[in-house]
Amino acid sequence: MKRVRGMVLWVATFLLMVVMCVPGLWVILSAFRPNREILAKPPVWVPETLTLDNFGKIFGWGAEQIAIPVGSYFLNSMVIALTSTVIALGIGMAGGYAFARFRFRGKNSVFLGLMLLRTVPGIALSLPVFMLWSRLGIIDTKLGLIIVYVSLNVPFTIWLIDGFFRQIPLSLSEAAQVDGCTRWQAFWKIEFPLAKSGIASAGVFAFLTSWNEFALASQLTRSTDSKTLPVGLLDFTAQFTIDWAGMCAMAVIIIVPALILTFLVQKHLIAGLTFGGVKG
Amino acid sequence: MIRALTTRRTDLAPFLLLLPAVAVMLFVVALPLLFSLWTSLTPYKLTKPASLYVFIGADNYLRLLSDPAFWVPFGRTVLFLTIALNLEFALGLGIALLINQITWGQRGLRTIMMFPMMFSPILVGFQFKFIFNDNIGILNNALQSLGITDQAIPWLVDGWLAMASILFAEMWMSTSVFAILLLAGLFAMPRDPVEAARVDGCNPWQVFRHITLPFLMPFAFIAMTIRSLDVARAYDIVKVMTGGGPAGRTELLWTLIARTGYENAQMGKANAMAYISTLLSIAFTVYFYRKLMAARRFMGGVQ
Amino acid sequence: MAEITLTGVEKRYGALRVVHGIDLTIAQGEFVVLVGPSGCGKSTTLRMIAGLEDISGGQVRIGGRVVNDLPPRKRNISMVFQNYALYPHMNVRDNLGFGLKIAGQTPDMIAKRVDEAAQILGLADLLDRTPAELSGGQRQRVAMGRAIVRHPDAFLFDEPLSNLDAKLRGQMRAEIKKLHQQVKTTVVYVTHDQVEAMTLADRIVVMRDGQIEQVGTPMQVFNHPANIFVATFIGSPPMNLLPGTISGGAVRLADGSAVPVPPRLTGRAAEGQAVTLGIRADDISPVGHGLSQDGPGAELDLSVVLAEPLGMESLIYTRVAGQEVQAKLYGPRLVNPGDRLTFRLALDRAHLFDAASGRSLEAI
Ligand SMILES: Nc1ncnc2c1ncn2[C@@H]1O[C@H](COP(=O)(O)OP(=O)(O)O)[C@@H](O)[C@H]1O
Ligand SMILES: [Mg+2]
Repeated sequence: MKRVRGMVLWVATFLLMVVMCVPGLWVILSAFRPNREILAKPPVWVPETLTLDNFGKIFGWGAEQIAIPVGSYFLNSMVIALTSTVIALGIGMAGGYAFARFRFRGKNSVFLGLMLLRTVPGIALSLPVFMLWSRLGIIDTKLGLIIVYVSLNVPFTIWLIDGFFRQIPLSLSEAAQVDGCTRWQAFWKIEFPLAKSGIASAGVFAFLTSWNEFALASQLTRSTDSKTLPVGLLDFTAQFTIDWAGMCAMAVIIIVPALILTFLVQKHLIAGLTFGGVKG
Repeated sequence: MIRALTTRRTDLAPFLLLLPAVAVMLFVVALPLLFSLWTSLTPYKLTKPASLYVFIGADNYLRLLSDPAFWVPFGRTVLFLTIALNLEFALGLGIALLINQITWGQRGLRTIMMFPMMFSPILVGFQFKFIFNDNIGILNNALQSLGITDQAIPWLVDGWLAMASILFAEMWMSTSVFAILLLAGLFAMPRDPVEAARVDGCNPWQVFRHITLPFLMPFAFIAMTIRSLDVARAYDIVKVMTGGGPAGRTELLWTLIARTGYENAQMGKANAMAYISTLLSIAFTVYFYRKLMAARRFMGGVQ
Repeated sequence: MAEITLTGVEKRYGALRVVHGIDLTIAQGEFVVLVGPSGCGKSTTLRMIAGLEDISGGQVRIGGRVVNDLPPRKRNISMVFQNYALYPHMNVRDNLGFGLKIAGQTPDMIAKRVDEAAQILGLADLLDRTPAELSGGQRQRVAMGRAIVRHPDAFLFDEPLSNLDAKLRGQMRAEIKKLHQQVKTTVVYVTHDQVEAMTLADRIVVMRDGQIEQVGTPMQVFNHPANIFVATFIGSPPMNLLPGTISGGAVRLADGSAVPVPPRLTGRAAEGQAVTLGIRADDISPVGHGLSQDGPGAELDLSVVLAEPLGMESLIYTRVAGQEVQAKLYGPRLVNPGDRLTFRLALDRAHLFDAASGRSLEAI
């Protein structure tokens, strides 16, 4: 009986993993294979040639080149995601600390209000922002997108960081103040070091949101100077014949930073979400 | 005097700390929303700038209310969200319970489970477009070479199949959110109530139904709340996979907004739709947030 | 070292008043314990002294200086928290030296003071551990060490022993007492445990509902409770209380039986006054098995309801005038439920309280 149960569990888990991983892995694998092998009929299951040509094409080192400036897109994405993350973290730390450490009137309403402003669908928000940014002259600039991404990340960053600060007993800060610290010193010497890893994971989350965002970026950026990777991916579909292998290579470029970052902070991320949400 | 100042300062501190957050949200979200509210009350077209100043009242809304070209995608969106969230919850719960049972290699499994969460929705869309492509897609290729079918199945061309494919992609991307959070709930669960229930003669199903599930509900609602914050990311998937086609049969509210606003330049009408979609998102979020609060109160001192 | 003075100190949360105008002077070097049931405002009072809580009204002075508007760091006090509040990311050495470092002391000075504190508290071998690697008692010691290294004007303790098990609590209680005798700093100590209060305090402050009920040495508070609340709160088991009326020089109880008014209180009780007679279990014992055999006494024939042998003594449950009364039997002797014995009530240790106000007739 026990053995049967074990077997069933194992098979179920195996199937689960296949479904979870294979689609993603297939794209990643395809990035290292030439187009003719990907598109072959009947399918070539086990790769015969593994090559970096697709990446070469993208970055312009190979013989073959494509007309899509992935390098610029990558740089734009990095600059936009990093800047907006840093700003959102600053704002989120201040806000999260306020929610975790102070009682004030209208606290719940402010919190709910921030969250609700976050729910506005990207595409719905893009319409007025598109019109306003055009008037302000920041349409199709990195700055315009950074500002939008800050607002996209602030509510969630506050939620997470509030949760992390709340796990730190208030008496630690009080003890530090009795020991001679100002509240500001107590924050930087005691509370911040203890919440550091949590704040870092909130940062990773914010970075990923910006890095992966499409709906707003696709409307607010047009030129090589500001387009991000997810928007750039669609350049492929505009071409006469779709270069599937090239697209897969670009997909890998988008996914790798995200993969690395998420694995680094997965533990904190879950803790932050559940603590922030469940504990009152 | 000094006294009054210090007291005032402590009272002000939280507001000062929240000021940047509130300011940025007001400037980047609330202000544009006001602007789009105004726009939705005009016949504004990008091609006719003057039309921004023509007030037509609720005309756009009234016209939408009677327009099946709006109602059908709207209904489809609600249906899509309902099915997707429920299936994701059920599957996520199953996965969490399964992984909770496994002791050997559990950490690895958990990590694998996070894999889809890192994918940008646009990538998920592209990935499944690549896999479901009727001509070069690996799925059809596999089915044909295995002899299961000799026809290419039109995954993204047939209306129903395309919707199902999109649903699959959406679930692939988001089920992990539920699984991870519910698993965290299972880890946080105290053993005593389960053991007490067993001693009281509950069978495994009863234990699950009356002890485990109620305990997990707050975690489920956290997941639902988080998900409802960004359900609209499904737009990216649809945009890449089908673009709303074939013939509008996978059109969701969000793709319709983009088409109306940017392709047809009918900003007034698009903003009216956008407003409705925003209210829809808010309704979902508030619903789950309230459930979360209620579940939290219900759990009382336990957590 | 400094004197601490509270004058009319109040705490309000909006309309809710949790501390109602407290007046108290704590002498330099004195060990004062605030004791009272949970929620009575002890911590709030202590935290107002520390500067962790705004003072809604009145004045707090430390060493003659009004500190109402000073932040905690400028009050030169140190505090031991209920959960110790050790900094989890610092080892014991850094925890101890943190306050000195913030104050800008030289590393030599810090090392010297930390070693000194570690010596006093027996922490010398633990200096490189982090709080997570310490037992409950050790953490408690570090928290105390952190308080003493800074040589503050006063120590504030908020229920420092309540997270320890009973045995360790007794041990640490003795150490705190010894520590105070060694450093002779003013101490304000908060607890809800009357045993802790009795054993540690130079003076006890009994609080209820944000008000002071009585201030006195442990013996004063125990032997001369100012009112019924103090009488029942201090001492274990709680003092027996029997309602009655003064009639012809005696307290007439509900069933008509009479107990003479204690001689020291004659003249303080008016004829016909409704009173409550208070007597501790130790002061009502079977004849020949009590603590005090001389002095004025009253004898009562009572039957045993239940006896709990505790070794050299037994706690006896009996009934007087229809009410349960606990009595003590000293010396090993077996009694059984239903036994009828003559009990002697030590009148010079009995108390009379005015039934209406609850105040002791002795105090009026
Ligand atoms: N922030 C607050 N708001 C309202 N009431 C409070 C607050 N903090 C404490 N109280 C109330 O003040 C009273 C005294 O609390 P406290 O000083 O902690 O009591 P204790 O004597 O147990 O230490 C309690 O009844 C408590 O409910
Ligand atoms: Mg307290």
